[in-house]
Amino acid sequence: MRHVVPKVTPEVKPLTEPVLLILTSLADQPRHGYALLKDIEWLSGGRVRMSTGTLFGALRRLLEEGWIERFELEDTSRQKQAYRLAAAGRKQLQLELDRMRQLTRAGFARLRAGEAV
Amino acid sequence: MKRVYRFMLLLYPRGHRDQFAEEMASVFEQASAERRAEDWAWYVRFTFSEMAGLIAGAAIAWLAERPTAEAPVASALPPELIDAQRLVDVNIAGMVHAIANHQFEKARVHSDQERLARENLRMLREKYGIGG
Repeated sequence: MRHVVPKVTPEVKPLTEPVLLILTSLADQPRHGYALLKDIEWLSGGRVRMSTGTLFGALRRLLEEGWIERFELEDTSRQKQAYRLAAAGRKQLQLELDRMRQLTRAGFARLRAGEAV
Repeated sequence: MKRVYRFMLLLYPRGHRDQFAEEMASVFEQASAERRAEDWAWYVRFTFSEMAGLIAGAAIAWLAERPTAEAPVASALPPELIDAQRLVDVNIAGMVHAIANHQFEKARVHSDQERLARENLRMLREKYGIGG
């Protein structure tokens, strides 16, 4: 049986689901709070309907870590505060997605191996 | 519901409130309007989820504000400073308990007392040259 051995990257800690979803949502464009909630619901296929307490708790930690940045939107929409991914956050998201890709590959390889037995 | 939500935001530490309270209330109002239009059962579920999220979020925010390991251990602190910290903690616990029991007037009293106790604590920390 051939094993896919995951590369060990000890400095990378798995992100929590809210953090992963927020970083993913901000990966392509800045969003304000309500747009984040809606996009996270869409990204998760309707499975995750994040509460405002969870969302803003995670946003605060991400701001403190320097993974996201806050800025003022110039348009006249109801919410002027928006968030965008900072370079550190982009790197963390990339590391997490790489980690998940390795895990996914290993998982499918083992499923195939199990079916072949 | 909006008023209850805004009131429950008092559970959060002042720093968090100053930074996010208005934005949180605005997002809640938009999400609330949308859920109400969808389905009544969804709206009830949404409301409970929001209230639980606020209580959990406030507890986490308070934990994050606790002094770090670099701060002096409690036994090394002057007694009046320990008492002042205790008074802050007691009022926070009272506020959480009162809100959980829908005693909003009582919660407001605890909130006011917590603000005074925190200010007193800040002055004592300055007096003794202790950060946090």
